[in-house]
Amino acid sequence: MRRGGQVWAWFWMILGIVYFFLPLVATFLFSLRAKLGVLSFVAYQNVLSDPDFVYSFSASVLWAVLTMVVGILIFVPTAYVIRLRLPQFRTPVEFITLLPFVIPAIVYVFSLVRTFSRPPLLIVDSPALLVAAYTVLSMPYMYSAVDTGLRAIDVRTLTEAAQSLGAGWGTILFRIILPSIRVAILSGTFLSFAIVMGEYILAQYLVKPAFAPYMAYLIQQKAYEPAALAVVSFALTWASMGIIQLFGRGAPGRAQVAGGH
Amino acid sequence: MAYLVLDHLRKAYGPALAVDDFALEVEKGEFVSLLGPSGCGKTTTLRMVAGFEVPDHGRILLDGKDITDVSPNQRHLGMVFQAYALFPNMTVADNVGFGLKVAKRPKAETTKRVEEMLGLIKMPKLGDRYPYQLSGGQQQRVALARALAISPQVLLLDEPLSALDAKIRVELRVEIRRIQQELKITTIYVTHDQEEALSLSDRVVVMSAGHMEQVGAPSEIYNFPSTPFVASFVGTLNQLRCKVVDVGQGKLSYDGQIFETRAPVRGAQGATVTVMLRPEQMHIGSLSDENQLTGKVEMVTFLGSIVRVRVGLGQATVVLDLLNKRSLELPRVGEPITVSFPPHACWVMAEA
Repeated sequence: MRRGGQVWAWFWMILGIVYFFLPLVATFLFSLRAKLGVLSFVAYQNVLSDPDFVYSFSASVLWAVLTMVVGILIFVPTAYVIRLRLPQFRTPVEFITLLPFVIPAIVYVFSLVRTFSRPPLLIVDSPALLVAAYTVLSMPYMYSAVDTGLRAIDVRTLTEAAQSLGAGWGTILFRIILPSIRVAILSGTFLSFAIVMGEYILAQYLVKPAFAPYMAYLIQQKAYEPAALAVVSFALTWASMGIIQLFGRGAPGRAQVAGGH
Repeated sequence: MAYLVLDHLRKAYGPALAVDDFALEVEKGEFVSLLGPSGCGKTTTLRMVAGFEVPDHGRILLDGKDITDVSPNQRHLGMVFQAYALFPNMTVADNVGFGLKVAKRPKAETTKRVEEMLGLIKMPKLGDRYPYQLSGGQQQRVALARALAISPQVLLLDEPLSALDAKIRVELRVEIRRIQQELKITTIYVTHDQEEALSLSDRVVVMSAGHMEQVGAPSEIYNFPSTPFVASFVGTLNQLRCKVVDVGQGKLSYDGQIFETRAPVRGAQGATVTVMLRPEQMHIGSLSDENQLTGKVEMVTFLGSIVRVRVGLGQATVVLDLLNKRSLELPRVGEPITVSFPPHACWVMAEA
């Protein structure tokens, strides 16, 4: 590359890093100033010892885990069947999976409330509705991750090889396809996890305990604690990413999956 | 009754007929190849045997039982694919033992069988490797071991060597035949490579456009092709358009030069027929009691053990192969040349 080009490349990269990290560093420094005149972790202590924090955070973790499980159970078989038997449905299904990007969450949640708060489907109070809604919200990430993973392996031939060795559908799906796209599924589920952990509108309007509404509530009440909470949630997201990397490293299916990205 | 009977199979995809009226009986322990160009229906036929495609018409009988409607995982056939299709998340040993594990065989038996199979493919120490740590040739050996581990009733191979380097291909070909003969397993082998089909098989089925063209032993297919397609698809073939001079004595004329054939000539005097000749049946120089034709050397290709010479004979060009020797003097391009061939070497087809 030309020398001038290299200088500009560095310039833009540093600018990007500053743009991303500056607010984060500022938030972190601010969160340390809860005690006048000294830097301390008092705000973190306050937040972490608040029973409301523990309650809303563990509620969000529960929603996120349920969303991950439901997502795997729905999207892995769907993407698999479409790859194997119904390739003509790939484009319409891809379009449908992208709908959560197009439809604003506020519109989505009001339509849910309207539809499910009257008979015959009076389930607006059920946690299942929230998990279902989160599953829809995580669909673009989950489906495309799984689909990319499937594209990297020869789904049809692997299926046929397993069939010729006597395997039924359950064995094929859970012993061959699922482990072969483990890394892709992990990246999809952790993205879903991060989405659910930070989601505000659905939990707020379906009136369920969750981390983001708690954070919003805290912002209105306190100064330093919300900043500490923001840093904590960032750390969580990064930990998720780290776990993806950790699981991905040295995984047997890695060579194949990495080829597809 | 034969061990495996393919009873008039037919399969169409919409208006396109993939396989039509395919009837074949395979004896136990026999090695049969389906040979043909791409799109001739050979893979579709194999997939019908495997159960991945359902025939529109016809039946498949295995050991006297009708398996046409049996699902692929109940057929107990071993299959090897062109793309290896090893399970990427499993080690070599787990791949080989997969079929036995699915069949819920005792663990000790599975371990023993896996060891036996890895010995058979001469990879006894690579059981704990993952597929991505193996070369293409090794992966295909493992795929073969995996298919054989379940002691299948029939072994099906779908172009198993096509993705490999030339040298590995020949090595593995020999291995496949050795293993097949050792286990005496009934085998159906699909290939577009005539050398593979001829060198491996007890019998070869040549296919074209969904039809069976000829079934026979490799030497029969090569030396006595029954249709123009088989003649031109298997091996290199010289074709000369000749006029019939004397039907009774088998006298023909090419470009004014008269020669004889022992093959029956179908066609009246003066009719045009096509004479076919293999390159290795022709020599340079004039030999008494052989046919002779004169022409001009157009090209000389040195192939190592063989020297291929293209000779222009009037309108047509023929190819002849000379066995290389140190003393061989290569013909020069442009010089006039006489080629000779015995009367029994050529056969004749009437023009359609």
